[in-house]
Amino acid sequence: MLTQTRDLFRKYTNDETFDRIKEYSNVSEMWKDCVNNYSSDIAIVDNGESYSYARLESDCAKMRTIIKDANSKEKMNVGILCANSYDFVKAYLAVVTSGHTAVILPAQLDNTAVFGCSMKYSLDMLIYQPQLEEKISLVSEKLKNINLVNIESTCDEETPITICEPSTPCVIIFTGGTTGKSKGALLSHQAVMQGTVNGCYGYKDVFGQRYMLVLPLSHVFGLIRNLMTSLYTGSTLFVCRNNKDMFHDIAVFKPNILVLVPALAEMALTLSKKFGRNMLGEDMKYIICGAAAVSPYLVEEYANMGISLFPGYGLTESANLVSGNPESTAKPSSVGIPYPNQELKLVDGELWLKGKNMLDCYIGEDAENSFSDGWFRTGDLVRIDDDGYLYITGRTKEVIILSNGENISPAEVEAKFNELDFVQDSQVFEDIDESGKHILALEVVLRQTELAKYNTEDINSFAKQELEKVNLKLPTYQRVNKMTIRETDFERTPSMKILRYKKFG
Amino acid sequence: MNRTEILEKLKDILISADSKNMELAENCTESANLYTDFGLTSVNMLFMVIAIEEDFNIRFDDVSMDSFATLGDVVSYIEGKLQ
Repeated sequence: MLTQTRDLFRKYTNDETFDRIKEYSNVSEMWKDCVNNYSSDIAIVDNGESYSYARLESDCAKMRTIIKDANSKEKMNVGILCANSYDFVKAYLAVVTSGHTAVILPAQLDNTAVFGCSMKYSLDMLIYQPQLEEKISLVSEKLKNINLVNIESTCDEETPITICEPSTPCVIIFTGGTTGKSKGALLSHQAVMQGTVNGCYGYKDVFGQRYMLVLPLSHVFGLIRNLMTSLYTGSTLFVCRNNKDMFHDIAVFKPNILVLVPALAEMALTLSKKFGRNMLGEDMKYIICGAAAVSPYLVEEYANMGISLFPGYGLTESANLVSGNPESTAKPSSVGIPYPNQELKLVDGELWLKGKNMLDCYIGEDAENSFSDGWFRTGDLVRIDDDGYLYITGRTKEVIILSNGENISPAEVEAKFNELDFVQDSQVFEDIDESGKHILALEVVLRQTELAKYNTEDINSFAKQELEKVNLKLPTYQRVNKMTIRETDFERTPSMKILRYKKFG
Repeated sequence: MNRTEILEKLKDILISADSKNMELAENCTESANLYTDFGLTSVNMLFMVIAIEEDFNIRFDDVSMDSFATLGDVVSYIEGKLQ
């Protein structure tokens, strides 16, 4: 079992900064301190307007009054249906600093889904942006007991912040969970705060930074690592409303920290190479990268541009980050060392977690298989090296059991092929050969720009030779029997992860 | 810039967006479908929009990329913007 202390992270910044990283047990107290400490600093820039910490709190205080006047219940589940915007931030902070639970409804949900979620999560109130009003017509028509509040409503009276208990339910965020079925993860104030503070560890410049938001706030990586850590550190968060404007916005706002999924980090890198300049701007220092496997290639290429890319590992259920990699150039394949106040253990290779950052429960779904003796079973297969660094080697449900009884984690084998710089993505899966025998197969997508460096005429046969060399270095039971070079990308999920082929049996 | 020149630049962008498109892009016409022929993903499409704006020095309106089916549709949009 591994228990982590925060002192492991001290060496990555100076003592003054490290000692400012203070733990809070609830969001209300953190927010109160932020308003006191950074009152006139800019908290949010959105749609051409800048909002100071004091202005944001004043708007939240009025929204708290509107919430209270609409429904005087002490504890409510309040749905938030807002796109990435200042409106979202105001609604979210007002709800959680009133002691209510925010239920984050992704803005892309349709009318029926909003209705279904309102029922499933027993909403008492729903705060919405007027431009999304058509998505609440079913709720408005059929669920008369739900108070509908337009985020643009206003009043003069300000209601003070309610200080919450660590265990007070703070937010319900949608997740596929460890079983792939969509459900809501309930995070307490303590869990959200631990996730927020975890975002401060492992790099030098922490407070007073310039963040830009490109990920959805309905995703834990956007909500906690991007928004909450930005507020906690007295930083400014620029809201990029449309990803196609990302680089125009970067040129104007000059952010120095970005929180990205690997697909966007790779896109920014390819664009930078195409146009011969750093599209992320000269001020960019750090990219926090996660939510899918991060290729070592990205770490190395960004390091060449003078940008530190830190891979991390997290789950909605752990209020975002479980670990982050402060030594990414030395260990580019690792998702880093665990953050404080967690206990970790490996059971048959699967990572089990306990800690302040863990969810209380799932809402609306049976979660019997997700917990065992108070431990949360992540479903992720993990290896830990001698320095305590974590490596994701696969998913328990993806394990392929061959006819000889050997268990193969596809991700572990893929990681070996992905070390070749010209391999963009790969997938190892179980296939059946002509004789009906179950075999291990590999498909790869090549990174042509890197292949061009090798100056070879027949690119595919060169690539196959190199892949074969890797294959021969693998333990016999992990070797693939069939290799295919794909002409097109893999099919992907909406969050840009590779859609895995279905397993046999 | 005429349509042929726009198409040639667009092909370059397609290859950068997803280098596996090289052979297809080199031999295709305006009727090639972005999704069924090139198999572009949402990230590829985002890349294309950004690269087109950079290369042609234009700004896309708030149009959905779903409204473009073929390369020719994109060429027409760029042509309209350049006029």
